[in-house]
Amino acid sequence: MAGRRLTFHLAGINNQNFLMRDAETGTYWQQISGRAISGPLAGQQLALILSDELTYKVWCEEEPSGTVLAGVPEYASEYEVKDWDKRMKRTPTVIQFPEQGMSSRDLVLGIRTAGASRGYLYDRVLAAKLVKDRVGGEPVLLVVGADNQSVRAFRDRVPGHEDAPDFFRLNSRESGGALMMDAASGSRWDFQGCAISGPAQGMCLERVAMLKDYWFDWRNYNPGTTIWRQPSR
Amino acid sequence: MLVACICLAVSLFCVAYPLYVIRPFRAQGPHELTAALAVLRFSGVITIFSALAAIAAGIELWRQQARTRGRAIAIALAVTVCVLAALARVNVYEQLMFHPDARPAFVSAMAAKIDPDDKLIVVKVNGVARAYPIRTMGYHHVVNDEVGGKALVATY
Repeated sequence: MAGRRLTFHLAGINNQNFLMRDAETGTYWQQISGRAISGPLAGQQLALILSDELTYKVWCEEEPSGTVLAGVPEYASEYEVKDWDKRMKRTPTVIQFPEQGMSSRDLVLGIRTAGASRGYLYDRVLAAKLVKDRVGGEPVLLVVGADNQSVRAFRDRVPGHEDAPDFFRLNSRESGGALMMDAASGSRWDFQGCAISGPAQGMCLERVAMLKDYWFDWRNYNPGTTIWRQPSR
Repeated sequence: MLVACICLAVSLFCVAYPLYVIRPFRAQGPHELTAALAVLRFSGVITIFSALAAIAAGIELWRQQARTRGRAIAIALAVTVCVLAALARVNVYEQLMFHPDARPAFVSAMAAKIDPDDKLIVVKVNGVARAYPIRTMGYHHVVNDEVGGKALVATY
């Protein structure tokens, strides 16, 4: 922050979203927003670094030279069990927003861009495999990986092409690793949003930050959010 | 006696109020959270001064009280306020409920003992790829790290 390195510690909880405190100034920060809410740096905002939630399989194939947090052997028995997410789904929440037909623990993929916020029901996105939508007027594309669990979001524009790309899904097993094709150029694109063949080869789509969150938490910090559900057939 | 009791009340408030407001499974309004965090921020200093005042008051009370019972009260008050000063320094979340990964270690992607369908939070900074398993992050919650020459904090 302003050239000063901060060291963060877990420090509390606020409506089931945790608080952290930096050792250098004693400021308290909200985890979900990265905003300082109390202390000398109150009002400051940590810069968000683009991240993904991927399965180990998908990530390893993309980044075989990457490194993984090893954990602390002393606390290994405390780490979450395999089906932690099923248990978490049954955990009650202290705040609720029973609107738009949503339940507190519904998983959404949240996108905030161009002054608007929108939550995409995770299970519906997995079923659709490819979602073309708009957030605040900006065209976005949500793509499900070959593992049918990992999801990424991109700006639905091919650099250098005026026309809407009109992406559609491919069967990756039959298409040499490409997950989608755009009708405008006929190029094939992988899960990293990069064209691996065709006129656009070498180009990559612009990434859009996306947060996988429970509805109650996403809605708490995005009061004006809309919800995407797969259109009924 | 009055001074010692005031010190006890102040120190108790400094410790108990944030614990009461900032706890799991309790809805918090923005104003009470702001107040609790303000108390938390200054509780370390306040409880120290309170403890010093309680010790001074305890000494004075000891001198005034000839009876054992009076002196025991003097000691009890001073000790209690000192204990509260120590408790004000305990980070319940990091020392009791969870523990930090203070010196994070990393293994290569191919050597990690992780199931293929386990989920990771992944970043790539200046060409360097790093992953944080969610099952691990769900316990530590906060990992201070440096990736591709950039300081970052991974949270879950």
